Amino acid sequence: MAVLEKGSPRRQSRSIIEWLNDERVRSVLYQAIVAIAVIAVARYLFVNTSENLQARGMSSGFDFLSGTAGFSIAWTVLPYEAGDSYFRVYLVGIVNTLIVSLVAIVFATLLGFIMGIMRLSKNWLISKIAAWYVEILRNTPLLLQILFWFLAVFSLLPPPRGSFGLLDMFFLNNRGFYMPAPVPGAGFDYTMIAILLAIAATYAVAVWAKKRQMATGQQFHTFWVGLGILFGLPILVFLATGSPLSFDFAALKGFNFQGGVSVPPAFCALLLALMIYHSAFMAEAVRAGILSVSHGQTEAAYSLGLRPGMTLRLVIIPQAMRAVVPPMISNWMNVVKNSSLAIAIGYPDLVAVYMQTSLNQSGHAIEIVAMVMLFYMSVSLTISMALNYYNKLVQLKER
Amino acid sequence: MAETTQDDVVFRPKPSLPPPPNTVGVVGWLRKNLFGGPFDSLLTIVGVSLIAYVAYSLYQYGIANAVWEADTYRECLDVTKGNGACWAGVSTWMNGYMYGRYPDVEQWRVNLAGVVLAVWLAPFWFPKIKAKILVGMSAVLTFPFLAAHLFLGGEAGLFLQVMVAVAMTLFATVWLNVGASYLGYPSLRVALLRLSGFENKGDHLHKYVLLGAFGVGFVIAFAYQSTWELAAVPTQNWGGLFLTLVISGIGISSALPSGIILALGRRSKMPVIRVFCTAFIELFRSVPLITILFMAVTMMPLFLPVEINPDKLVLVIVAVCIFAAAYMAEIVRGGLQAINKGQYEAAQAMGLNYWKMMTLIIMPQALKVMIPNIVGNFIGLLKDTTLVSIIGLYDILLMAKASGQDGKWLGMHTEPFLFTAAVFFVVCFCMSKYSQHLERTIGGGYGRR
Repeated sequence: MAVLEKGSPRRQSRSIIEWLNDERVRSVLYQAIVAIAVIAVARYLFVNTSENLQARGMSSGFDFLSGTAGFSIAWTVLPYEAGDSYFRVYLVGIVNTLIVSLVAIVFATLLGFIMGIMRLSKNWLISKIAAWYVEILRNTPLLLQILFWFLAVFSLLPPPRGSFGLLDMFFLNNRGFYMPAPVPGAGFDYTMIAILLAIAATYAVAVWAKKRQMATGQQFHTFWVGLGILFGLPILVFLATGSPLSFDFAALKGFNFQGGVSVPPAFCALLLALMIYHSAFMAEAVRAGILSVSHGQTEAAYSLGLRPGMTLRLVIIPQAMRAVVPPMISNWMNVVKNSSLAIAIGYPDLVAVYMQTSLNQSGHAIEIVAMVMLFYMSVSLTISMALNYYNKLVQLKER
Repeated sequence: MAETTQDDVVFRPKPSLPPPPNTVGVVGWLRKNLFGGPFDSLLTIVGVSLIAYVAYSLYQYGIANAVWEADTYRECLDVTKGNGACWAGVSTWMNGYMYGRYPDVEQWRVNLAGVVLAVWLAPFWFPKIKAKILVGMSAVLTFPFLAAHLFLGGEAGLFLQVMVAVAMTLFATVWLNVGASYLGYPSLRVALLRLSGFENKGDHLHKYVLLGAFGVGFVIAFAYQSTWELAAVPTQNWGGLFLTLVISGIGISSALPSGIILALGRRSKMPVIRVFCTAFIELFRSVPLITILFMAVTMMPLFLPVEINPDKLVLVIVAVCIFAAAYMAEIVRGGLQAINKGQYEAAQAMGLNYWKMMTLIIMPQALKVMIPNIVGNFIGLLKDTTLVSIIGLYDILLMAKASGQDGKWLGMHTEPFLFTAAVFFVVCFCMSKYSQHLERTIGGGYGRR
């Protein structure tokens, strides 16, 4: 009896330990603990928030979106007036962010390729210059560079009367950068249609040429024919319809420039800083990508009798792209994210007009922060989906 | 006759000629690397003239036409006519760039904390010292309390006082350990036991001796620190490079542990944990840091109970830590993925459990692979810390900007920014060079041989 009484709890406790040592049980237990903890924290935050909102007499919900935003925005791509709704401000901010990011991405990629190739140059001096370009730009903060361009360069430009001009078409002064605005006349639509048609035709020619080369081995001068179609067709149509395009030139009238398209100094500073800063990172991506193709590939191509140009085009670049594109795309993502630093120099991007001005005016912190985060997250998800698709496309086909 | 023919048959190579003089030495190097062809020569000439132009302009701007002593920016401009730097303004503001509005008479506290940290971590680089984990862990876990007390000053609570005393005792332990090692003892532990005569008096007494020694040290430290009378310096007065280093230092030291936990969570087989970790990482990686900072200063006060009114600096540091952890998690995940599956299987076959497998087999290898990325992330974090200037913390960048908006030095923008850029460049460049050095030394043995 005594033995049994002593033994039974021990056996029972051991069985609990055994039960706890079961991996599946533990897994469920850990997950339950984490889930409960997260839910408890979320509930705690929610209760606090609603208490806080009540205490401050603030409402929640997205009703404020249709309310009028009383402020004006310095520079917009979408038409906007001070009486428009907060939702309009959101859209205006998104478009302003995307415009500056897209332009910066295009130029940064070009500059990045140039710098990356310079870095690999056989010329010692050129490669050193590129190396120092990369080191200096990568090791100083982007915000510092933005402020530098804005405060120490673009703000110190001469006023409109003394502005720098190029061909009497482009002007740069402390109010911004001015360029001619294209004004399509009647019948310009035909040229646009011709451009679309030319793109489709070039694509069709390329597909046909590839098919023919696969079938017969005969090559076709796709590049030159395509170039001819791309430029020839729209130009012909443009001339045939009587050149229906004129330009609105910016011109100095009184104290400022009138007409044309203009971008503010903040745009120029942000664009330049984003472009130069990110080109350094992109140069590194290009360099690493090209270096990742082994020298044996070049030698093999030469021994097959390919000329250096063809080796580069048909052997090296396609393989290097596999290593260059993924970091390049994540750099593009970073350009979009870093364009949010616009707020420091007053360029009206999404964060500046929505997360700062609108938030301060309407007080709907939670909704506004969530909407801004939603925008950046959807950009990021789109880009990473594109990246996954590309990776699947170029993945090495192994056994 | 026969002998001479045999002599003729033997192949006797003539001594090889020296290489053509234009392929060796300076000339050869120049021809190979700078003047390989007409296009190459053109590039070189363009490059040389570019460098000469930049160097000449920098010399003219920064040295030849620069003004080193002036009282206002106007005085500078009168001398330079806008063609030279006004370093006088930078040197006037130097204190601000370094410490912000930290009171002059209290700045020794910041310097002291910096020196203490440097001395604390120095044994890392002593080849003889074995207990590097003690050095690292003690500094990471207790130095922040000591630093917080030094920086903040004022009346410290009991907890903070205890932690400060613990930090001081551990600091002493680290350096006594160094001393013991160089005096020929295997470790401080052995040295203490030997000197106290307990080495051969039973193992069960050892830990009491060691605990006693630590206790004596603690009591002395506690008594010593309770005599301190430090004037309170609120966080609003913190600024300059000091503030930048505080924020990024906390971010950097918290990033690795929290990143490792998040990465392990994301690779876990438990769906709930995996989903939470993935959501956390992806959310904070896909949004810009500035939105996280805004979220911290506008939304965090709403999330917390009404009676808690958190300091802005605390909110910012929390935001930076979250951001750094999310980025670090992806780097750690990349490192874990780079480890051969055979290593996991071998560890499991040896009967190691999950945590032992991770800490003894997987992480040491993964961390070696990750060094360049980790240091790259630290550099990125240090640079990103400048974003706190947007929400109004006077870090080095905002001080630099503010110095050009001040009455006496109105319009001075280029010089402070050049100075700040130089500071960041030196720090970041050294970090990246050091990481390359680490890669070569401890990263060796993995990958190419």
